[in-house]
Amino acid sequence: MREQQSAVRFTRVSMQFSGVLANDNVTLDIHSGEVFALVGENGAGKSTLMNILYGLHTPTAGDVYVRGKRVERYSPAGAITMGVGMVHQHFMLVPSFTVAQNIVLSREPKRRGLLYDFKKAEETVHALVNEYGLSVDPGARVSQLGLGLQQRVEILKTLHRGADILILDEPTAVLTPQETDDLFAVIRRIVQEKGMTVILITHKLYEVMALSDRVGVMRGGRLVGLEETKNVNERMLASMMTGSEMPPGQFAREGSAGDTAVEVLGLQTLNDRGLPAVKGVSFSIRRGEILGVAGIEGNGQSELVEAIAGLRPLRGGEVRIRGQRINGLLPGEIRGLGLAHVPEDRRLTGASLQADVTDNLLAGRQREKRFAVGRIHRKRGAARQYAEKLFRAFDIRGAGVDAPAGSLSGGNLQKVVVAREFSFDAPVFLISQPTRGVDIGAARSIHQSIVDKRNAGAAVLLVSADLDEVFQLSDRIITMYEGRITGEFTAGSIEKAEIGYYMTGDRIARHHSGEEAL
Amino acid sequence: MMRLLRSLLPGRRKLGFAYLFSLAISVALALLLGALMMRLTGYSPVEGYAALVKGAFGTRRALGNTLAKAVTLSMTGLAMAVAAQAGIFNVGGEGQLFLGGMAAAIVGSQLTGWPAAVAVPLAFVAAITAGGLYALLPGVLKVRLKVNEVITTIMLNSVAIYLCAYLANGPLRTADKGIAAGTNAIDPAYVFPRLIPLSNLTASAVYAAVLALLCWYVMKRSTIGYEMKLTGQNPRFARYMGMKTDRLILWSMAASGALCGIVGLFEVYGLHRRFIPSLSNEFYFDGMLVAMIMRYDPVGIVLMSVFFAMLKIGGTAMELGVGISSELILIVQSIIIFFMAAQSGLARIVRERRGRRAARRRIEGKNVPQGEATS
Repeated sequence: MREQQSAVRFTRVSMQFSGVLANDNVTLDIHSGEVFALVGENGAGKSTLMNILYGLHTPTAGDVYVRGKRVERYSPAGAITMGVGMVHQHFMLVPSFTVAQNIVLSREPKRRGLLYDFKKAEETVHALVNEYGLSVDPGARVSQLGLGLQQRVEILKTLHRGADILILDEPTAVLTPQETDDLFAVIRRIVQEKGMTVILITHKLYEVMALSDRVGVMRGGRLVGLEETKNVNERMLASMMTGSEMPPGQFAREGSAGDTAVEVLGLQTLNDRGLPAVKGVSFSIRRGEILGVAGIEGNGQSELVEAIAGLRPLRGGEVRIRGQRINGLLPGEIRGLGLAHVPEDRRLTGASLQADVTDNLLAGRQREKRFAVGRIHRKRGAARQYAEKLFRAFDIRGAGVDAPAGSLSGGNLQKVVVAREFSFDAPVFLISQPTRGVDIGAARSIHQSIVDKRNAGAAVLLVSADLDEVFQLSDRIITMYEGRITGEFTAGSIEKAEIGYYMTGDRIARHHSGEEAL
Repeated sequence: MMRLLRSLLPGRRKLGFAYLFSLAISVALALLLGALMMRLTGYSPVEGYAALVKGAFGTRRALGNTLAKAVTLSMTGLAMAVAAQAGIFNVGGEGQLFLGGMAAAIVGSQLTGWPAAVAVPLAFVAAITAGGLYALLPGVLKVRLKVNEVITTIMLNSVAIYLCAYLANGPLRTADKGIAAGTNAIDPAYVFPRLIPLSNLTASAVYAAVLALLCWYVMKRSTIGYEMKLTGQNPRFARYMGMKTDRLILWSMAASGALCGIVGLFEVYGLHRRFIPSLSNEFYFDGMLVAMIMRYDPVGIVLMSVFFAMLKIGGTAMELGVGISSELILIVQSIIIFFMAAQSGLARIVRERRGRRAARRRIEGKNVPQGEATS
């Protein structure tokens, strides 16, 4: 390490959003001239922390120092003045402008103090491109560039504004492998030759190993690990990211597995960006069985669940629920076959935040006889009573069933989703991240409910970023990596420490020439 | 822009007590500012407002005209609200209104000599079909191709209005030389009876009352309204819960267009007795404003329509009687809208401030005994 000067320092930073403590007392020093990787699962608080640094949020408590200078007013403009630049996951470029126009945007060179000097703009950008060795044609229209080059334009834009601390938020999420390699070369160059500091937000561990000098691990809003990259491996990082503070619990399992309820054959589907996310996955689940899916987030688990639930079109393969082929059916039709689903994202998918708690608990049952006369006239009293019953049964804490669901804390909102879905007497349950952000007591009761469903003969697919949860509940476990199944185990046949090999997949095999993976 | 529009859609906030309170203050402030302006221009505010109220409600005829205006405002406002409930911003009501009016006029002027009990329902069917289908077009584009409905509905307004103007000046132009432009008159037997003689209040008001009740029922008491509401609030959630969101969007769009078409019919059968190219003077946009101010609440829309109708009708009387320019009333209206628009922003700022302060207290309180809390 050339220097140990502090580039950025967070001291006891906390960030409270409505109901969620996104950052919890984070103290962290990032050195000047290093590549610092910040890893953690979705919702671990890494983006929030970096958004604070970039001035998008004002921390609820604590301070941020950039090169020893305390940040007084949090704003992106202020951050840029202090030399902090950020490239977001979603690029903020004007598609119809040229590369040069985008880069000089808001600081256009002027002729006679008035007219836009296009020529000067292109020259400036040319010089910038040469200085940093980031080849891109300044005259090209952004709309005609691939995502890799667009990202490069974003980086040049921050450099043009004088940034020497560069935050990259999941920079490889949209890139092809070749573009990823190019990006890494660029990052190495600007760090080594220009002495820049790069902060990389990611949950892809091989990127951490390939690129960073130091790595910080976040979980549940807290910084739970801070290491020199050379002292850790992917497996250690994976366990730091996915560990939980949940006490080990034992659940009485009864009955043995029955008929096959879910069959997935060669399932393929795309992610939101149109890239393959699930690349041919096959498994089956029997009644009275919990199949756990272990894996680092972003390896296709979310897309797999959405495809089975009918929320994402299949690109190949087929899914059968109780013998019925569901390809091309609407989510409601699949529910009609006997499926209930706790989605991973309660705020975007699992609830309507503006609707009151009653409406959220009732959803899916609104046309049932006991809640509607002739399927049309709502029985609002019955609905309210029903909601109050669930509200109490699941120990939901909040202003009551008439309050908007958005006013509940994350954990209580999760209870609303779980209460609603578990009230369906379905033979098949898809359950994603059931206890994320939920306190320990509530998590235990949710776990108990899942096992109860299993004991009553339901087939359960359980996806969780929390390894302990997967191990505690599952009868069988599959591991996913890069959209494929990399291992299948019966409960008890594998140790938690060992499963990390499969969750980090063939990358270990590739980087360590196979010796460690086998 | 889109974020602003989306924040105007329903479900964001309810028509709660706090909102009604600030609405009352906004109205009071706007009227106060109006009074100030009267004062500054040398008129007596007391006299001015007295003339306004008298002009709106003072005579049976005035009352009739005010209520007739309220009928138009509430029908167009409800049309906006029905679409908005499913999350659609229908800006195309004006065009749907014209087409509905034209379709109804064609029925009434071509099928002369039929019993009114047959011809009038047929005219309703024609108006509903014309307005509904025309609204369905942007609906289909939105559902199938994800084309933003705000843009398509605005554009389709011009298409419909000019198409109707062409028809009324061209192929369907009346032979009557005394009429500047318009279709043939409908059979006099079909014309809606006036509820108050010499006023604009016709049997339209009765139909409107039934329709308003139906709107309220569907939106507030039916399972369809519930499903529309959830679709409007979070379409992803509604789909995940098994609702047929595409179909709900299409139906609510069609219903919105049908209501607009019926307003067109009202204008033809109640007032003009034929289609004329000036059938509506941006009636739909006035209704949109009322609907947005009242956060798409059907009862609120009807009540606010009466108030706005009072300002409109009373304002004209005030100008004639006291000499205060009726533009002043436009200013008062604008100020109310301005305050209500600012209200959401101000309320948010206050809420965030309060939330931040509370959170800070929580965290600072928590940092001290942390060792115990996490053990």
